Amino acid sequence: MSTDVFEDRILYPLEHTSKRYYALLAIFSLGTVLFLLAWAYQLNAGVWAVTGIGDWGISAGVPWGLYIGGFVWWVGLAHGGIAISAAVRVIDIDRFAPIARVSEILTVLALSMAAFNIVLSMGRPDRIFNTILWWPATVHHSPLAWDIAVITLYLVLSLTYLCLSLRAEIAAFRHRLPTVFSPLYSMLTIGYSKSEDEKIEQILWWLAVAILALVPLLSGGVVPWLFSLIAAQPAWYGAAAGAAMLTESLTSALAGVIIITAIFRYAYDWEDVIEDRIFRDLAVVLAFLSLATIWFTMHDILTGLYTAPANIGALTGAMLELPFFWLAVVGLVVSVVALFLMIGWPDRFFSIPALVAISVILSVTILNKKVMFIVEGLMFPTAPPLTNLYPSGSYSPTLLEWWLFIGTIVLLGFGFLIATKVIPMVELDPEEVN
Amino acid sequence: MPDLGKGWTPGDLDEDWEASAEAKLETVEFDTELGIEISRDAMALARGEMTETAFHEKHHEAVFEEFGIDQRPTYETTVKAKTDDDGDALPGVPDVGGDAVPSRRGLLKTMGGLAAAGAATSMAGCLDQAVDTPASTADSDGGDVQLGMVIDTDKCIACLKCAEACKQENDTDRGSQWMHVFRYEETEYDDVSEGQMPRPCQHCSEPSCTYVCPTQSRFKREEDGIVLTDYDRCIGCKYCEVACPYGVNFLGKDEPTDKSPGFFGSDTDKNDRRVGGPPPAGVMGKCTFCVHRQDDSAQKGTTACEDDCPVDAIHFGDMNDADSQPRQYLRENRDQSRFKLLEEQGNEPNVVYLGNEPSKDATPTDGPFTYEDLGMETLADDGGDDQ
Repeated sequence: MSTDVFEDRILYPLEHTSKRYYALLAIFSLGTVLFLLAWAYQLNAGVWAVTGIGDWGISAGVPWGLYIGGFVWWVGLAHGGIAISAAVRVIDIDRFAPIARVSEILTVLALSMAAFNIVLSMGRPDRIFNTILWWPATVHHSPLAWDIAVITLYLVLSLTYLCLSLRAEIAAFRHRLPTVFSPLYSMLTIGYSKSEDEKIEQILWWLAVAILALVPLLSGGVVPWLFSLIAAQPAWYGAAAGAAMLTESLTSALAGVIIITAIFRYAYDWEDVIEDRIFRDLAVVLAFLSLATIWFTMHDILTGLYTAPANIGALTGAMLELPFFWLAVVGLVVSVVALFLMIGWPDRFFSIPALVAISVILSVTILNKKVMFIVEGLMFPTAPPLTNLYPSGSYSPTLLEWWLFIGTIVLLGFGFLIATKVIPMVELDPEEVN
Repeated sequence: MPDLGKGWTPGDLDEDWEASAEAKLETVEFDTELGIEISRDAMALARGEMTETAFHEKHHEAVFEEFGIDQRPTYETTVKAKTDDDGDALPGVPDVGGDAVPSRRGLLKTMGGLAAAGAATSMAGCLDQAVDTPASTADSDGGDVQLGMVIDTDKCIACLKCAEACKQENDTDRGSQWMHVFRYEETEYDDVSEGQMPRPCQHCSEPSCTYVCPTQSRFKREEDGIVLTDYDRCIGCKYCEVACPYGVNFLGKDEPTDKSPGFFGSDTDKNDRRVGGPPPAGVMGKCTFCVHRQDDSAQKGTTACEDDCPVDAIHFGDMNDADSQPRQYLRENRDQSRFKLLEEQGNEPNVVYLGNEPSKDATPTDGPFTYEDLGMETLADDGGDDQ
């Protein structure tokens, strides 16, 4: 393919807008408005009144539910994007370069949605800035304060990374970008000169290293620590939660990247830009990550059943009776089998729609696992004799909760729709400007 | 070096030994002479020329002065600290000396050391004595005030008067039982026995709820050890509720019941923080040990549940004061078995129960009344008004 055509095709969505785009934008705008309405309703009525969550103890409620599960899921999803992009830069895997930009945007949007889910779960979201205000005093004792610190750091690094990587590109292609966003482009390229390119590349390399280092600290560290350090909840307490959660997170993250890039490839006919082999490579990694997720699940079950402490045994037994648990197991096994068939006999079994379908199954399965982890832990909280004296909790998310959670997925779509009209979704080489 | 094996004599403690001991002791920052003195007496003790008590007593003052703490088994540190005046063991104080495992307090102390000094000062109140001097680990009598309760479950008749009084006094929401009474059955062979156990907030000395709070709105009041929530600062994240092993937290719903005409105490405490009465909607609430009463000279030292208990099963007061009402009650009933709830969780609760602890096989029973029967769940007509 000639370079001219390549640049033209990447910039096409920025220069032209189809009817299909307007239709999608209308649908997602409507979704966003409905989300905001539902949120306003929840704010007005109170979390307890309109959601399935409640106090544990005599009320037999579960204080954290879909929102907190959704938060953990979104944080996990956020890793895939920037991690792939950072890996491209740090270890020069150039063949993934065409999906780097989409992945970076996925990270920034997913992290924002993670934060949004926390806000949804809060009883007094109007006071969220108290956490920042008191952060210096709480950071050495509250795992939630650690979480705020690392997520904020991750978001700042990702955004900085994205903005810096855009500077040369925007400066070079400014004349072909929509004039509506001129102020934004001016801000992004403020003080730009050609001589900074080399320095920026070095900064980006170090930023990428920092981001890669933060991945295990976030999804394998502060997020699981929110739960695994809490002695009051026997189902959460433990050291392996970090490793297990990181594996699950990376699985859903990769699935997320596959889904989003496949959508872009389909929407803009970028079959030759984002080639099949990228998806085949991703499928291999996804297969082994899902296998590792099954492996960790097996560990949980075995240690929870075989001469486990009485209440841990009871907890594990109770989990095995949850239909959601078996749904997760089936989802994982089916995905692993399908993925290995795709790897082993690509000619017969590999296709991008099938890979996307598996990725969707995996994302939903991981969401199921995360929500189950949180809810199940809180259904049987504390230790005997209080475990047996309090009624065990029950939880089912209300329609409003589902809508608000799904609403955060709609918001992500809305964010992507806007982003496609503002910046090129595949990295362009500033040298190739025409 | 002299042979200090079987056949040694006092004569072996010659100048050579003293010189080598001095050389070793001089490398540490503590008193060299004291070290040598104690070593000499230790040998005398081993020879049987000195009693153990005399040995520990002899250097107690000097050791305390030098190290600020003397954890050796002297009268001061064992008998006096771990028993009340009559030599009864306090529940929850294990009969072993020293601090074998690093406490949560210790861990936080280490982490606090890593944090900026400015931040460390702001920990006060939340972590209470976490940054205190080492001497505070001795937890001896006459220390800071720690309000707590002694609840006699053998006396309790599960009449729910305490729960009702609490609801009336604090105007808590529908479904929020700051004081809850467990009623349960124990089955042993064919023998079924019934038990009951009132459960307020345990106002722990190591309150996990305060540690996890991301805004320090859940804190332990320094003056009297009450664990409170700053209603103006809480963000309603429910982390405290999740981290508490006792299940005493209830998120504010602004749904007062018609059991109470309203909350008439002061909602701000003496430090001007809004901590009393029912929490606003979306803010965490729990038993406050009637903080509005503790800050009011006329009602100080009482709680609603204690006042209304018809069988005098609840005794409220300073658990660190040997003459306080709960401590006296413990003394008067020294033959009764006693326990602290979920003590192995390490929260160091300040509610002591008299009677038998429910077993892990205890099953809940419906009592003669329910909160609904007592009209404690009926919404007030005018609805809520606080925000």
